[in-house]
Amino acid sequence: MSSRTGKPAFRSAAWRISLWATLAFTCGTIVVFIFLDRFVASDIQRRSDAWLSGEVGVLGDVAERTPNDALYNRVVGEVAELASREVPNRAVSHETTNDSVFFLQTGRDGALKLWVGDGDGQAHLQAIQAHTFEVGRPLSIRVRGYAIPFRVATDIMNDGGRVYLGLSERDQRRVVFNLRTRFFVLWLSLVLLGFAIVFFTSRRTLSHVRKIAEAASHIGESDLQMRVPTTPGNDEIAQLALTLNRMLDRIEISVHQLHTITDSLAHDLRSPLTAIRGKLETSLALREAEQAEPIVSAIEELDRLTDFLNKSLDVAEAKADALRLRPTTIDVDELLRAMIALYEPSMNDKDIGIHLHSPGPIYIVGDEGLIHRMVANLFDNELKHLAEGCNVDVYLHQDDDMARLVLRDNGPGFDSEVLAQLFTKVVKGRHSTGHGLGLPFVDAVVRAHAGAISAENNEDGGAKLVLTLPLAPRESHQGQTAHAG
Amino acid sequence: MTICSFAEGWPLRAVRYQPHSGFKERFQKTAMTGCSSELKSERSCAPACVLSANILCMRLLIVEDEHDIRAFLQQALSEAGYAVDLARDGKTAEGLAKVNTYDILIVDLGLPDQDGINLITSLRQMGVQAPVLILSARRSVDDRVRGLEQGGDDYLTKPFALAELLARLRNLLKRNVPAGIELTRLRVQDLELDLLRREATRSGQPLQLTPQEFVLLEYLCRNAGRVVTRSMILDKVWGMRIQPDTNVVDVHIYRLRGKVDGNGQWPLIRTLRGVGYVLQDR
Repeated sequence: MSSRTGKPAFRSAAWRISLWATLAFTCGTIVVFIFLDRFVASDIQRRSDAWLSGEVGVLGDVAERTPNDALYNRVVGEVAELASREVPNRAVSHETTNDSVFFLQTGRDGALKLWVGDGDGQAHLQAIQAHTFEVGRPLSIRVRGYAIPFRVATDIMNDGGRVYLGLSERDQRRVVFNLRTRFFVLWLSLVLLGFAIVFFTSRRTLSHVRKIAEAASHIGESDLQMRVPTTPGNDEIAQLALTLNRMLDRIEISVHQLHTITDSLAHDLRSPLTAIRGKLETSLALREAEQAEPIVSAIEELDRLTDFLNKSLDVAEAKADALRLRPTTIDVDELLRAMIALYEPSMNDKDIGIHLHSPGPIYIVGDEGLIHRMVANLFDNELKHLAEGCNVDVYLHQDDDMARLVLRDNGPGFDSEVLAQLFTKVVKGRHSTGHGLGLPFVDAVVRAHAGAISAENNEDGGAKLVLTLPLAPRESHQGQTAHAG
Repeated sequence: MTICSFAEGWPLRAVRYQPHSGFKERFQKTAMTGCSSELKSERSCAPACVLSANILCMRLLIVEDEHDIRAFLQQALSEAGYAVDLARDGKTAEGLAKVNTYDILIVDLGLPDQDGINLITSLRQMGVQAPVLILSARRSVDDRVRGLEQGGDDYLTKPFALAELLARLRNLLKRNVPAGIELTRLRVQDLELDLLRREATRSGQPLQLTPQEFVLLEYLCRNAGRVVTRSMILDKVWGMRIQPDTNVVDVHIYRLRGKVDGNGQWPLIRTLRGVGYVLQDR
């Protein structure tokens, strides 16, 4: 898609849609994860607390029942050591140096009585003494020298001493961390996959819309018999194509009707005109000069009438966007030079100067005959309306993808009451001698070529007409110049 | 006059020639009244006379349903020297084409019994080779192209100037003649054009012409003795099919005339009001 339209993918509607969809999806999954994470973390906590409380009870029991003799430390130590091997969520690598569990017994006075664990237990004792423990409610404490806090449960023995069982939160954290990592990887791939799916689906859907738009714009400019491509199924896109095609059917029918009407009108008017003109011409051949004058002027009137008829039909067809074009690639610069060469002597006769300001060849695609007649109309207008000694400047340049033609004179300018509706209907200036179809015809031709026209009066007097016409696609005239060369 | 025109390169194709009723008389009449007394007044050298000479022995079929148009075409073309047959519908035309061999056909597109283009197609299938000039009230480029694609050789929109019709008929007939030697010099009376060096002289005196004026004069010379209309000049010299409602062509002709006929010489370029211009070859 992007390669054909020249538009990068990240500026397409499909890109925007997928971005928003992905954003919504991302937010949703994050909320779900936070909830899940809380739930899992608290569940792990609950399970290790339950283990701690259970074990500390058992150890307290053992410590109480064991006779306080030389073997006491060893027996209780062994039991504590065994218990520490059943730590929940335990990683296999911590088999030899067990620093994740400690057992601590204090006497009635709070002094350290028995220590099973990593180090001498003083740091742990200090940390425990800084907190107030209740039986059955484990607490998290920080121990100097350890980065990760311990979860500690306690039990009170009959002699008033206490046993403490501490479990490092390291393993618990590792489990949660592993869970989070896996979730993150899964989440990231889901988001990317979702983005890709949404992007490609919407791009595929929108490419139908784009094709329809392309076809529709093409139809508008050239051929009414074409139709936009339809897609199978009955979704919105298919409906859009069907509706457009039905609309085109109707337009084609009305344009066809208009052509039929104008054709029959033209036929009904042209046939008698032909007969009259022919009769006049043949009778002209038989007359002497003095008798010929009325016939000559009748022929001239007839030609004006024919011209009026032709222009009226053209304007009528163009107003209905039904002007029939036969487009070729035209160099406007060359065309203007030829037209100016044709008109310059007439202008010079009236002491009117005409000058072309052009940067060189500028190519458009258009109906050469119509463009010729359009420029002839413009120049005829200047010839008819300018007083002696005036100047016409014709500027041709290139604006983005449009050819811009500016016609500027220093004559009387447009009548203010005429200016507003110059192109819309048949209007004539107060001193105009034409039939008033000149500028509507120019407007019609410009619009049939997908261009635009505007008229204004210069600040320093004089009229200014600005015509824009779309440039030819690059390859069409490159081929032509190559051929010419 | 006739000998002169044959010498211009028109081959005698008199094999199939059958005198058209009244043709001889009319020809003699035009030859006497028109061309022998042409110096009496400007009007007397009327287009029909000026154009008549070349077309001897050419047989022509007009297929046209409008009586008035048929009538004046018959009159004008007979005066121009063609042997004219008439048909008011496609069926009659086909019947006539079976019996006779025509050098050229004029076919109107809007016939009562069928479309003119269908008629051309079926005539071509019957083996009619002659060039066909299409007459039509339809003016759009589409119709023109369709007509030319379907076997027509030229296309003229109604209403038309007689001079243009005659010029087109002449061109169509010329197409059937093998191309002659490419001219390098044109000579009309004491006017001479060197087509290679793009120089013109009148009575040996060089004329200072712009390139455009030279092309215009060349076109007039190539059609010396025949009327050319303004739209023909615009089409052939400038390559534009336009109908200016100002006098652009007249000004060009006026300037050219100033240079060609300027030095008190007798006028070569003559205006026929309501019709066009003619470069007189006599």
